[in-house]
Amino acid sequence: MRECEPECTETLLEVEAYLDGEVDAALAGRITEHLSDCSPCMDRAEFRRHLKDLVQSKCEERAVPDVLRERIQHLIADP
Amino acid sequence: MAQSLPTHDDPELRERFERDALPLLSSLYGAALRLTRDQTDAEDLVQETFLRAYRGFGGFTEGTNLKAWLYRILTNSYINTYRKKQREPQIAEGPEDIDEWYLFDRLGGRNVEGSAEEEVLDRIPDEAVKRAVESLPERFRLPVLLADVEGFSYKEIAEIMDSPIGTVMSRLHRGRKALEKALWETAKERGFVDA
Repeated sequence: MRECEPECTETLLEVEAYLDGEVDAALAGRITEHLSDCSPCMDRAEFRRHLKDLVQSKCEERAVPDVLRERIQHLIADP
Repeated sequence: MAQSLPTHDDPELRERFERDALPLLSSLYGAALRLTRDQTDAEDLVQETFLRAYRGFGGFTEGTNLKAWLYRILTNSYINTYRKKQREPQIAEGPEDIDEWYLFDRLGGRNVEGSAEEEVLDRIPDEAVKRAVESLPERFRLPVLLADVEGFSYKEIAEIMDSPIGTVMSRLHRGRKALEKALWETAKERGFVDA
């Protein structure tokens, strides 16, 4: 386990913001580089990414009931 | 001046609302379902959101972030109208007590035989994942939905929730920890892991 290395510490601390696209380019570059040669960190990053994708795919509800769509159309016509 | 007219009396504004806001109906409805945890309440919340948005559309600046603007109205409508009658699920411990790599450490441990961590997650049925998200206290559920389902940036979420960005980041992080714990409990209950 290489988690004691400073690059691992930085990566694991920042990986959440990194996956959210919320770190600056310099840090993102360092994390990307570190992940490419540290498989324990990569496993954790991949797991986090998978979890994020899971929440999105399972919680996306795109079928709007017809009755709601009609109510919205109606209020636009006659608010 | 066009801005002073009600939207329904301004054909250009009304057309723009139909063109730009209506396509966001389904994603707003999805968020409303996860927030209210009730189909009738979700329908009412979305209707109220669109009514408020339609009436206020003259004050919306074209070219700025319409989706964030609509989610802000949805969030405010929810807080003002629906939250009062919702029951918050009771959780024994706060999300702040949860380990940093709560779910990874458990799924990666000896309890999961010959199965990658991701495969266990994939076996959890859609409905159970939704229930796990819905089990989060609202102040944690909202940022998780906005970030992970809708893909809003931290800055946009801060605007939608009218909260400082640091608060958003903290709640998002704690919400995700709480979700990991809820998913672990679900996986255990369903016998996907031995625990």
